[in-house]
Amino acid sequence: MKFNRFWTATAAAGLLISGLMFTGPAAAGEETIKIGNIIPLSGPSASVGQQGKNAREMAVEEINAAGGIKSLGGAKLEMLYADSESKPEKGVSEAERLINTEKVNVLTGCWNSAVTYPTTAVAERYGVPFIVPVSVSDKITEQGFKNVFRIAAKDSWWTRDQFSFLKDMQAEFNTSVKKLAFVYENGDWGKGMAGQWKKLAEKDGYEVVLDEPYPSTATDLSPVVQKIRRSRADVLLLVSNAADAILLTNTLAEYKVHLKAIVATGGGHADPFFIKAVGKNAQYLFDIVEWETDINKPGAKETNAKFKAKYGYNLTGEAVDAYVSMYVIKDALERAASLNKDAIRRALAETNLTSGPGMIVGYDAVQFDNSGQNSHASPVLVQINDVGNGLERITVWPKSARRAGYTPVFPKP
Amino acid sequence: MIYLIEDTINGILMGSIYGLTALGLTIIFGVLKVVNFAHGTLLMVSMYAAYWTVALSGLHPYLALVIVVPVMYVFGYYLQDIVIKPIFKAEKDVREPSTVIIVTTGVWYVLDNLTLMIFGPQYRTLPNNPLQGKMIELGDMFISVPKLWGAITAVATAFAVYYFFQKTRTGRAIRACSLDRDAASLCGINQYKIYNMAFGLGTAVTGIAAVTLVPFYNTFPSVGVLFDIKGFIIVVLGGLGSIPGAIIGGIIVGIIESVGPQFMTATWTEAIVYGLFLLVLFVKPSGLFGVKYDW
Repeated sequence: MKFNRFWTATAAAGLLISGLMFTGPAAAGEETIKIGNIIPLSGPSASVGQQGKNAREMAVEEINAAGGIKSLGGAKLEMLYADSESKPEKGVSEAERLINTEKVNVLTGCWNSAVTYPTTAVAERYGVPFIVPVSVSDKITEQGFKNVFRIAAKDSWWTRDQFSFLKDMQAEFNTSVKKLAFVYENGDWGKGMAGQWKKLAEKDGYEVVLDEPYPSTATDLSPVVQKIRRSRADVLLLVSNAADAILLTNTLAEYKVHLKAIVATGGGHADPFFIKAVGKNAQYLFDIVEWETDINKPGAKETNAKFKAKYGYNLTGEAVDAYVSMYVIKDALERAASLNKDAIRRALAETNLTSGPGMIVGYDAVQFDNSGQNSHASPVLVQINDVGNGLERITVWPKSARRAGYTPVFPKP
Repeated sequence: MIYLIEDTINGILMGSIYGLTALGLTIIFGVLKVVNFAHGTLLMVSMYAAYWTVALSGLHPYLALVIVVPVMYVFGYYLQDIVIKPIFKAEKDVREPSTVIIVTTGVWYVLDNLTLMIFGPQYRTLPNNPLQGKMIELGDMFISVPKLWGAITAVATAFAVYYFFQKTRTGRAIRACSLDRDAASLCGINQYKIYNMAFGLGTAVTGIAAVTLVPFYNTFPSVGVLFDIKGFIIVVLGGLGSIPGAIIGGIIVGIIESVGPQFMTATWTEAIVYGLFLLVLFVKPSGLFGVKYDW
């Protein structure tokens, strides 16, 4: 409660200050480019919203300090924040306000897919370019909109990348995988993922030996583990929440289930307490995530160090996507050399960003396809292993992002 | 065939532990005639007590019994004495003290959130305890050692509680109270003291259940909810207030949960357990071992 009020107050203060700052430079006759950001700064997703805000601020400070947008006479970026409170109706009304009252040039947001979905429709109606750093729901870029550009990978690409990873690992380590087992929590998320796995498995010619949903509230998962053991699968794919991820990992170790690899889908396996709770039983597990601090990309380490010094925590996937977005906007504005909405939109559509401070992501370029989806976006796969500093998450895939000097352990010994 | 035996054994072991978690619920209901909605929360508190005792002292997990059981008895005794008794007294002319149920729900919310504030949302598992991950391997068959210990403890506890109620003076006083509060009072039994003791006893038994769970299960603020629902089903299945009923009800649920998934997906076994629950309510509302008539 206290926390929420604090964030609301911060957000309000931020809005007030940014409003005041606007009158300052404008009076001095300098041009600014207004970027409206609709993110959850209070309510259930407030902590994630705050990460996005911090990352945006750091990027914009860097851009402005480096001379702003040169093709527009060194115009500075000006940030306006609006709190969505994770509510769709709030996102829509804030978009209307930012566009009509504040006259923003570009919009970004909203993290919650449920908020982003209706809010992008407002931007489309007014023809204001809308950058979606991260909201994973597939349908956001499937509305046929011209003004919506998404940086992060969409839902269905996570499963796609899990399968590409499997294929690459088999080739790299000369081990064949034939039989797959799918075990997933019995919710929207788990069932959705498993549905896509099934199609991919059929396409890639794997045999699915087990397809098992389980209730996340189960107090005993040994029956499920028994089924995994008896299925004699090569690779186990998991979607789990927190308590069940711990229970499954421990029970799999107890029953000495032998698998070539276990590939998890974030969630409970990415929980900061997961490794602590299961210890050595987590060794060699693969997990898919948006970004990891050890990613082998020029500037990633430095950017993370700067961010940590400034805000006191490591960059997260959400923060990195927000950070990249600002550089994508800067790049488009430079090329557009105009504040005309259409010019900016056209420049965004032609984006091909391959270098610069923003490119600390796991993939090599930002380029939008016709639907406005960044076609290069892909999550990374990590392996939990101990290379002398205790168990940690080590980036292994794609190969270009792999931690220098690390060889993944596959198959699991 | 060997799979079936293996699964049945796991079901019986896990089921006995479920029975033990429900035993406290059935004791408290049997005497106070109150469905204790805070039961899962009491299990959660006991698990934290057991977890910290073992984690800080490094003792064998079962040695935590020496500390957890008396601590939980006192906790339950005074929870009843301070929080629940005043409501009981205010409602003493009402045959079904329903407000008490609301109070236990309040206790549930307060304690769960208090734990969340103090210990945070993380999942805790005991590091390197001598029982963790231990398995008896009989050829192709695996039997979990911590579950075996838990099941033995469950059966021993049920016998001990049964003996206590049948043979000791205090036990008889408690039973007298559960049969007829007013008549027991007329015989000179202090009914409120008996209630405190019964609540303490139920909580202490829940403490034993917690000790059996901690070596192989996660401890976290909302863990009680998972066992709460199961506890209610088991108790209704076995008969509210029946001690053997709780253990046997637990074993039935355990076997369904363990054997069922080999023939269908694990989510279906939940449906079967709930279906059985409804069926028992329709056919024999007093449960398998329950008393047919209201006292």
